[in-house]
Amino acid sequence: MSAHITVEELSGLMKQAAGVTVAPQELAQRSDTGFDALGVDSLGLLGIVGELENRHGTPMPPDAERCKTPRQFLDLVNSTLMAGA
Amino acid sequence: MSAPRERRAAITGIGVVAPNGTTIDTFWKNTQEGLSVLDRITREGCEHLPLKVAGEVRAFDPAAAVEERYLVQTDRFTHYAMAAADLALDDARLGAADTAGQPFSIGVVTAAGSGGGEFGQRELQRLWGKGSRFVGPYQSIAWFYAASTGQISIRRGFKGPCSVVAADEAGGLDALAHAARAVQRGTDAVVAGSTEAPLAPYSMVCQLGYEELSTVDDPSRAYLPFTAAAGGFVPAEGGAMVVVEAERVARERGAPLRALLAGHAATFTGASGWEESRAGLAQAIRGALDEAGCAPEEIDVVFADALGVPAADRAEALAIADALGGHAARVPVTAPKTGIGRGYCAAPVLDTAAAVLAMEHGLIPPTPNVFDVCHDLDLVTGRARAVELRTALVLSRGLMGSNSALVLRRGAGEGV
Repeated sequence: MSAHITVEELSGLMKQAAGVTVAPQELAQRSDTGFDALGVDSLGLLGIVGELENRHGTPMPPDAERCKTPRQFLDLVNSTLMAGA
Repeated sequence: MSAPRERRAAITGIGVVAPNGTTIDTFWKNTQEGLSVLDRITREGCEHLPLKVAGEVRAFDPAAAVEERYLVQTDRFTHYAMAAADLALDDARLGAADTAGQPFSIGVVTAAGSGGGEFGQRELQRLWGKGSRFVGPYQSIAWFYAASTGQISIRRGFKGPCSVVAADEAGGLDALAHAARAVQRGTDAVVAGSTEAPLAPYSMVCQLGYEELSTVDDPSRAYLPFTAAAGGFVPAEGGAMVVVEAERVARERGAPLRALLAGHAATFTGASGWEESRAGLAQAIRGALDEAGCAPEEIDVVFADALGVPAADRAEALAIADALGGHAARVPVTAPKTGIGRGYCAAPVLDTAAAVLAMEHGLIPPTPNVFDVCHDLDLVTGRARAVELRTALVLSRGLMGSNSALVLRRGAGEGV
């Protein structure tokens, strides 16, 4: 498992955990758009964080589920994974 | 409900997702023809259970009815509720453009008896199979009785009074009455009703404890209320939602008044025995008639609760006689649910939909599979009976002891 979360993986997680489909290309373009505007609510983001923790076997910081945008989320999650690697 | 004319509550839209139809036309055609769609349960994981026969909704594609996010985030009972709400709003000609400008003028009320059992089972299996970290967050809301009200409100942007009635099966009628009260207090419209999805392994196991449940495996013999062969009831899934709207508001926008919610009352007689429901149901009928300002002789048809347990059937027949007096011997009684099963809270809402359609068509649908009636009732069996219907009485009882009655008056129809 790569210790780096890509936009593709986040796109897949949004679909799986929250049922929200945003293609990776679009997500990359809209990475400063709020999760709420993309259709991911707080429970959806919590589910994404939980799935990532299970996949990578490492806890994410509490702030992960409070991120407002995909860019914030990817920055935080990837710096956490990098620090643990 | 006994409100001044301008505050009277009307039904202006009906949406059904029923075992015998997922459009009003199919539902009514099959209901008035007395078609029985009771059948062996085919749902995965249910084959080995002693409950063999039910009313399954087979002509429903959740992915075609609701958006992907709701497929992931909500249970089947909420998919049914969203689909039925859409159908009811379409029927009432209330589109997104009509409601968007006044989000606080429209609310939602649902009743639910079993909640999201299928969703809950999946997540609990993850809990015990893999651990708490594998339980999805939507488990916190999807199983809950209140989920359908909340999700309809979110999905359609309805910010008016929203509530959930948790009152046993008869709660389906109580939800309609609650909607009528909200309308009388000033809300323009309320989407109200009930849908259930009790046909999944965990949910079915929960029902096996009900001694009133029929475990007869022949679909044509499994649910025979008011007969000597009565051996319990057959469960069903699906349900109905209706738009309850202020008569004045509906008239102003030229919407059809399909029926008026004229009177309702509810009582509780506990789960100690069906004999007790006689007095409770009779009192509910009297209360509903009183609120509607309706004499017993004005009731043109009774949609019976029809549990299919001899003591309960006897109590219902006696309650009708107690409350309607001499008229009880003459009034036609029907129980179309013997053809589709008993969908818990959804059952009386489907009966309400059938009663409105019966009044519109001047046709009392029959009681499928039932022939040799052993109670002193004029039960409509075999085929539909043509008769002018101005007023209908819908009855419902719950396994835990709730009893409700609803009086419906025929609407004025199209844009009157």
